[in-house]
Amino acid sequence: MTAAAPSRKERRAQRRRNASRVMAPEGIELNLPIAGIGARLGAQITDVLLTSTFALSLFLIIFFSELVDPWSLSAVAVLLFFIIRIPYYIVTELIWNGQTLGKRFVKIRVVAHRGGPLTTHALVMRNILKEAEVFLPGTLLLTLDSDAPYGSLISMAWVMMAFAIPLSNPHRMRLGDFAAGTHVVALQDPILLSDLAKSSSAKTTSTTKFTFQAYQLDHYGRFELQTLESFLRAQERDMDQAQYKRSAETLAAIVERVRKKIGYADAVKRADHLAFLSAFYKAQRAYLEQRQIFGDRRTDKFHRDETGS
Amino acid sequence: MEEGTLIRSARFRQEREADWQRLETLVLRVEKRGVQTLDFAEARDLASLYRQATTSLAIAREISLDKALLAYLETLAARAYLCVYAQQERLGGIFARFFTQSAPQAMRRSWKFLFFGFACMGLGVLVGYLLYFEASDWYHVFMPSGMANGRGPDASTAYLRSVIYDEDPEVEGLGAFATFLFSHNTRIAIFVFGLGLFACAPAAMLTFYNGLSLGAFVALHVDRGLGWDIGGWLSIHGVTELSAICIACAGGLQLGSAVLFPGQRRRGEALRHAGQDALKLALIAAIMLVVAAILEGFFRQLVQDMTMRYVIGWGVGALWLAWFLFAGREQS
Repeated sequence: MTAAAPSRKERRAQRRRNASRVMAPEGIELNLPIAGIGARLGAQITDVLLTSTFALSLFLIIFFSELVDPWSLSAVAVLLFFIIRIPYYIVTELIWNGQTLGKRFVKIRVVAHRGGPLTTHALVMRNILKEAEVFLPGTLLLTLDSDAPYGSLISMAWVMMAFAIPLSNPHRMRLGDFAAGTHVVALQDPILLSDLAKSSSAKTTSTTKFTFQAYQLDHYGRFELQTLESFLRAQERDMDQAQYKRSAETLAAIVERVRKKIGYADAVKRADHLAFLSAFYKAQRAYLEQRQIFGDRRTDKFHRDETGS
Repeated sequence: MEEGTLIRSARFRQEREADWQRLETLVLRVEKRGVQTLDFAEARDLASLYRQATTSLAIAREISLDKALLAYLETLAARAYLCVYAQQERLGGIFARFFTQSAPQAMRRSWKFLFFGFACMGLGVLVGYLLYFEASDWYHVFMPSGMANGRGPDASTAYLRSVIYDEDPEVEGLGAFATFLFSHNTRIAIFVFGLGLFACAPAAMLTFYNGLSLGAFVALHVDRGLGWDIGGWLSIHGVTELSAICIACAGGLQLGSAVLFPGQRRRGEALRHAGQDALKLALIAAIMLVVAAILEGFFRQLVQDMTMRYVIGWGVGALWLAWFLFAGREQS
């Protein structure tokens, strides 16, 4: 059997996986998934809200204290937005190493595209260009009247281009990111789940009564093993009556399939289903890991077809 | 469970689990409260535990099929990497370095572009000046109608003088500062810098055009015998403001020349390299524009004496020059 050409969806997933690789100076590729457009937009909106609220309150103070004569009020307003917004992004990203308050809020972060620390230059560059990309033409778009439609149209086209660029590359970099050599990643929480091969709950005390031969463990690969792992982890959570019944049925079906596939002759009692699968998981993992150390990586159950044996 | 019955990857995990968890607590603390809250031993541990975690990750990718373990180590190593490779300089240090070293050094490095920037403006002034004396109608061609504020060949000499020595302006203080900051010249500076990217030409042309209108404007006043007075009126902020435009132009030209002549690099890379200095020039231009707006908003109406205007304007200009020439030199 020849391997089918990867589908569009698979190719896209592959591109996403490749994009999320960052080479650390230790010479190891780290996995930093690219932040989605939605998260970035959310962070941006939070930041805009924060800065404009601050600027607006300052403006109101100036307005009511009558420090400025009325006809230069609009210029003062623009000035306030400017001198708060531009340093805000740069300073917060400098302080929190690539995170503004909005980015902290949605848990995303700027990283250097080629690994290593973020430089001051990169952070200043990407935030100054944000002005040129979005804010200046955006302000122009909001303030221009219908008498001069060309200016509005040009700035509209410019803003749309600025939004289209991140969608067209796998790292979701905007112009400023290209110029600064940065991109934005999503942060994940490290959660260490228990080791299934080691768990010693009451259910698995009887695992030792199941033994598997090498030929019985030759059928499955990494994918099936990890699917089984997910299923076993799902068994550990609390379930109500209906859920329990459904999961017991699934369990029975899986046990039946596995027994048939690997040619396990003895029947397994209903009470021992979970123990059987735990034992099988452990034996299968030990076997596959050993094969892997010897250079025989088995990605899934089709591994025989690929090697041609 | 007995040690001996554990499979290899489970043993691997058991031996290192405590270290990973210690790293995790350190990383979460650094992310929340900054690396400066760590004491010496903790900071040292963070670095060495991070390196251990990367090694563990590399080994686990080879020997373990435990999805939970792999996912945990990937996340942990990535987050620790972001903590360890972070900019550790304080904000004050960054600002100080910009003003005492990197900004003047960038100015000195890009003297060729600065020369071209000032040359564009200077040539524009010269041409505008000469053309006005050839035919004063050129004034209307060069001058944007909104900017002249009624000052044209048709205006009376008395009116021109009254604008120069205006004791009672419409706007004062902060309002005037803001108005002048977002006046014509700031917009020109932004455009001149940004348009440089498109192969230099638009930036040079815009600067030249700006020089043309300035030249015609000066010529108009010289024609009426107000040459020295308009010189003073322009000097007090213009020395700083027009230099800012020329510097922005130089930054734009630098970007444009990276597009035109990338040399051995690829265009994107050349542009990024040129951006290092061009960005600093843009920041310097922005600072100068702010100073110019302060001078224009607060001092121009305050100082009515012509000589004083010259002294302040060129004095500030000399300060800029001294900063660019002498700051941040290596002690040899």
